[in-house]
Amino acid sequence: MESNLITEDKQKNKLEKAFEILKTMASKPSGLIGLTIVLLHVVLALISPYIAPYDYKAISPNTMLLAPSAEHWFGTDSLGRDVFTRTILGGRTALTVTFFGSLIALLWGGLLGIFCGLVGGKIDDVVMRVVDAFLSIPWILAMLLIVSLLGTSTEVLIPALGFFYGKGIVRVARAATHDVIAKDFIVSARARGHSNMSIIWNEIIPNVRDAILVEGAMRWSWMLLGFSSLSFLGFGVSPPTPDWGLMISNARGLMSFAYWSVIAPIVGLSSLIIGINLTADAFAKALGIDRSTKAPV
Amino acid sequence: MKYILKVFSATFMSLILSFSIANASSGVFKVSHDLGFGKDTNLDAITKGRLFQVVIKTQNRLVRPDLNGVPSPSLSTDWSANSDATEWTFNLRKGIYFHDGSAFDAPDVKYSLMRAKDPDIGSPVRKSLNVVEDIEVVDQHTVKMKLSTSFADFPLLLTDYRLRMIPEGSGDIIGQTGVGTGPFMVDKFDPEGTTILKANPEYWEGAPGVAEVHVIAIPDAQARIQALLTGQIDMNRYVPFNQKKIFDSNSKFKTTVIPTGNWRGVVMRTDTAPFDNPKVRKAFRMAVDRQELVDLVMGGAATVSCDTPVMPSDQYRLQMDCPQNISKAKNLLREAGFPNGLELTVYPASLEPTWPTIAEVVQQQVAKAGIKVNIEMVPSKGYWNEVWMKKPVSMTRWNQRPADTILHEAYHSGAKWNESYFKNADFDKNLADARSELDFNKRKKAYQNAQMTLWEQSGTMIPYHVSRLVVTSSKVKNLDAVDHFSIQWHKVKVD
Repeated sequence: MESNLITEDKQKNKLEKAFEILKTMASKPSGLIGLTIVLLHVVLALISPYIAPYDYKAISPNTMLLAPSAEHWFGTDSLGRDVFTRTILGGRTALTVTFFGSLIALLWGGLLGIFCGLVGGKIDDVVMRVVDAFLSIPWILAMLLIVSLLGTSTEVLIPALGFFYGKGIVRVARAATHDVIAKDFIVSARARGHSNMSIIWNEIIPNVRDAILVEGAMRWSWMLLGFSSLSFLGFGVSPPTPDWGLMISNARGLMSFAYWSVIAPIVGLSSLIIGINLTADAFAKALGIDRSTKAPV
Repeated sequence: MKYILKVFSATFMSLILSFSIANASSGVFKVSHDLGFGKDTNLDAITKGRLFQVVIKTQNRLVRPDLNGVPSPSLSTDWSANSDATEWTFNLRKGIYFHDGSAFDAPDVKYSLMRAKDPDIGSPVRKSLNVVEDIEVVDQHTVKMKLSTSFADFPLLLTDYRLRMIPEGSGDIIGQTGVGTGPFMVDKFDPEGTTILKANPEYWEGAPGVAEVHVIAIPDAQARIQALLTGQIDMNRYVPFNQKKIFDSNSKFKTTVIPTGNWRGVVMRTDTAPFDNPKVRKAFRMAVDRQELVDLVMGGAATVSCDTPVMPSDQYRLQMDCPQNISKAKNLLREAGFPNGLELTVYPASLEPTWPTIAEVVQQQVAKAGIKVNIEMVPSKGYWNEVWMKKPVSMTRWNQRPADTILHEAYHSGAKWNESYFKNADFDKNLADARSELDFNKRKKAYQNAQMTLWEQSGTMIPYHVSRLVVTSSKVKNLDAVDHFSIQWHKVKVD
């Protein structure tokens, strides 16, 4: 009974802390704007299948390249499909792929970085040189190679993006671990005979978590841009899935006379990237992390 | 008086000078190619990787199609056949020289055409030329071609864009030199960069209008359109019709719509399950709404085709209607053992700008018959080597050819470019019968029977023959409004 009460208190404290961070983030105009944009996109992504006015796949020669009107708020594309419908659904794909991709990046990048920072020595040297080698490869070329070999399904894109965007997190997590590792509580944990896993889980993660989360948030916006670049090149999700990068690619040739088919996905993509960046900055400030001295690698 | 003479002389000299300048080749004509053959790109017209944007300007044929597609003289001035059309005699143009300085004569003709039949080279045009048994050099300017069967349309076969005349014995190096008798000579061959052609001042039809032609590798279709807009190239013959408006309203460009025999399609490999079942292939083809494809992809600028590769203007084309029939398609699938439909993946690349759109539209159309199409984009570079004729379903595009040539080349059981691996004895027999038939109506019937077999059995869905939207810079003059292979390139001028 007593232990249940302690757990509930802890959860209450965590919730209160999260609420405090959110309040701090929203106290600055940039943070408030960022949070609002991200929230809007997330809500839109969740409800878009229910509010989309048309079938995103419905093609028709009779509705090709119609200008914005009461029937089609954002006009139609070259196959007669409703641009508003495809734009609101396009955010869903981008958010899903990059959210899970970022989670994977955070997990493997963060854990490997912490592990290397803790054990040091030859293992650290070898792992970091391998990470350096991967960092030197342009990610877009490597991604193109992967999708050429394995296809462009989300089952391939999410882990591949997660892998390539996790490399930088390894370095950040390792550096943050180095800051922590010399502290007395780590020395004392070692003296108590705790295993490496126990030290990582109970001592290091709680102390480097904030830095890694902020880095992960920044990587999310980069990944979003990367994912849309792949789609733009035709190697992201497959048609007819509505996706901003793919929509921009299909409509770019029509920009001079059917601007509406390209503006909507551009606004969707750029606003989400700006929103995530502003939110990540506000998040870092709320946690007291100076991103100018912890530049992403 | 002296003054008057001086003025007169100066005026006369100026006139001569300006006249000679006006007739000299000047300016640069810049065009592009899509690098579709990647590292295999070469200048040997009979090979798979031929860079036709170059060879059609550097090498001539014996016979070429005139502006109406009728066989007309080129390096051969005239021809005649014996009574059963099994022997054809061609008289050659005299005083013609290759770019390397050697004279063009009958042994060059024999070498060029017999080389295309060489099984070691494995030319895609070999199948069409199998009818030629031997070429006899009658004298330096006369050749006699002996055919295995009567072939009333033989000169039409020789208008094939790949049957170019090259110097005798040059086969080993022609892929790099591109030497011919054409209006332009290869100055620098750089398939992945800019290939430079120089005007041939001795060209037999007269000096070309431009001093140089630059053929620039630009794999991406949209990048080629941007290149045209920014002046990097002067001509783009692959502009999608939905982008016509960009150029129509701009005085810097000229747009021309040319009906052609070129076609696009979706190819199912007939040797691969489930497409080895003719009912599955026909179900897919019947589920397609061709008129909607014409409207959505081509903006209406194409002629509906019912899976025949024979161009709309060809005298042997089979005219028929083939509206979308979803219930028939479903029945065929059920009979083929797919009552719940089937799933397939198609692999478009952006090297042909309409492929991704065709795939998207077809995806929606055939879904109504229970066929789920997945679309996987693949890189343009190397498409023809790594995807086409390799994947179970791929996209294709063909330039126009005479009926006999295209039917042999794309569907005959022994053809190298039989992209759907189609094998049908009746079809092959109809083609053989058509070639040897001297009566026009009977010949036409045989070609049309062959096309009917394609409608029933083939693995290639051909929705339409395209009209080509050619956009040129307004600086380009005298460009014939015909397909690539009939253009008289020496007449083109760039201001």
